[in-house]
Amino acid sequence: MDFRLTEEQEFFRTAVADTVDRLILPHVERIDEADEIPSELWREFTGLGYLGLRYPEELGGMNADPVTCMLFYEEISRGSVGFAQAVIMNMLMGTHFVYRFGSPAIRERCLLPAIRGEKIATMCFTEDQSGSDLAATRTMARKAEGGWVLTGTKNWITNGPTADFATVMATTDPAKGMKGLNFFLVEKGTPGFQPGQLLHKLGARGPACGELVLEDVFVPDENLLGAEEGKGVVYLGEILNEVRCMTGAMALGMARTAFGDGLEYARKRQAFGKPIGEYQLIRAKIAEMATDLEAARLMVYWVAWMIGEGMNPRKEAAMAKMFATETCLKVVDEVTRIYGANGFASEYGPQRYFRDARFLLYGGGTHEIIKDFVGREIVRER
Amino acid sequence: MKEVPMKIAVLVKEVPDMEALVKVAEGGKSVEVEKKRCLNFFDEIAVEAALRAKQAAGGSVYAVSAGAGTGIEAVRRALAMGADGAFLVDDPALLAADPLTSARALAAVCQREGFDLVLAGRQATDDEAGLVGPMVAELLGVPCVTAVTNLELQDGVARVSRETDRGTEIVQTPLPALLTAEKGLCEPRVPQVMGLMKAMKAQIPRMNLADLGVEAAVPLVVQDYRGPTKRPPAKMLEGEPVAAAAHLVKLLREEAKVL
Repeated sequence: MDFRLTEEQEFFRTAVADTVDRLILPHVERIDEADEIPSELWREFTGLGYLGLRYPEELGGMNADPVTCMLFYEEISRGSVGFAQAVIMNMLMGTHFVYRFGSPAIRERCLLPAIRGEKIATMCFTEDQSGSDLAATRTMARKAEGGWVLTGTKNWITNGPTADFATVMATTDPAKGMKGLNFFLVEKGTPGFQPGQLLHKLGARGPACGELVLEDVFVPDENLLGAEEGKGVVYLGEILNEVRCMTGAMALGMARTAFGDGLEYARKRQAFGKPIGEYQLIRAKIAEMATDLEAARLMVYWVAWMIGEGMNPRKEAAMAKMFATETCLKVVDEVTRIYGANGFASEYGPQRYFRDARFLLYGGGTHEIIKDFVGREIVRER
Repeated sequence: MKEVPMKIAVLVKEVPDMEALVKVAEGGKSVEVEKKRCLNFFDEIAVEAALRAKQAAGGSVYAVSAGAGTGIEAVRRALAMGADGAFLVDDPALLAADPLTSARALAAVCQREGFDLVLAGRQATDDEAGLVGPMVAELLGVPCVTAVTNLELQDGVARVSRETDRGTEIVQTPLPALLTAEKGLCEPRVPQVMGLMKAMKAQIPRMNLADLGVEAAVPLVVQDYRGPTKRPPAKMLEGEPVAAAAHLVKLLREEAKVL
């Protein structure tokens, strides 16, 4: 058993933390207030090459192990959840299937520019009546000569309104439920493909988020991202553990920022002649938050390690996502209490953490779905 | 007038991060420092200046560090920023050594490798002595200009600026020379991922004082460490603003005696 990061991973984490401090922190409030990613920040940050972190070196990537990737997701989320969302969409969900199944021409046209930060990528699952319930996907892909015709409306698409290309989940046969689902690459400018209504979010503000509308959008055969038709859910399963672990790492990063602020405040804020951190009820909060944070950290990096070892920790990844996110929600709540009324003021950070943390509840599966899944796995484990 | 490719050494030191907690140990004979380390602020500027010189005229940049079990973070950072290679002198005798020992070690590497230009930070942010750079210059027998805020390299000559009480000094020195970097010389770059990868994988040659034929100087003995004196708690003045202001002026006059 060895819980230490390698010297290289430590070095990487320190370098990312320093980059986040220098480049992202100065923009955090502006990103939240304007609900926009400053283009100069996007250019400067993506120019450093992080977007290729999990891809092979010959594609401009770093071929990083999952633990290293989680360190990155945690650190960038410590800076800004909104910015982190836009970046992670480009480096994981928005590009994975293009990398995995894209033809050389598609990789050249979409993946490589996305890794360089020159193109924005997104992934579309959610619809008006479906999210976690993927089998209810209504976006249809009909076979046509030389390709497919897609029709439907996707919703809650991070990077959607600005995306240069999207990996769209659509059913080729609704009667087959999950077995009818497939991924299709749809590029900006394809006739019939356009952004719909913009969504205004409570938190995790920054990247544009909203609808993507597909009206009889024709894409050629090579845009079906999958080696075999009807295997979309199987392919999704290949990155689901990573996506859930990543969400846990984001929660950790955010919770660390909130906890750090809360701790500082408890040390400085005086009440009845001494710092509030000297009172037992505040110390209890600090102790509980710190304990939960350690537990969440252990779970997230344990799962990352298992993924790196080639295991398939489906249950554990779901647990880690849920536990880290719930820890984050608890920490941001307690920190707003430590801040007293100042936790309610827009001049201080906690109100933003409080809003941002809610965002992590939904991605990678709601906790109701996750609990049902984890419970089912355990009950049937024999 | 043209810039010629040069082989540049940058002397780098690993220091506690500026946010690391520092506490004087019981008895005042040592300090306890949180294990959060980084490349010295001024050395990072020196690395950047060296990389810019390389970008302009070609050549190569090497980071050189000396420490007792430290220094790896500093040279890795320099490699991540774009340095071509690094040398690390690692010897227990460098723990709490006299700056002269560090200078001898660094000068020995510079001598052995041969450099057209040696850059260093103006001072390290831990001990703030600012001695090692000039000492290395002396040991190498090359000119030294400290606290440089502008640097132009042409035809084997460095034309540099330094800020003084009287204004800006422009100094010209033949190369090889040793220059120490002051804040404002340039803004250090944020390393690219490719640089981080290179730095993470780099095999960094390590050597000790004996390998370099360096003798340790008489060690530096710190007699006593004292933490900064604790500030008295802030006094809050209550009441109406006008009365409170009058009260404040009275206190500043009579108690603080600053008016």
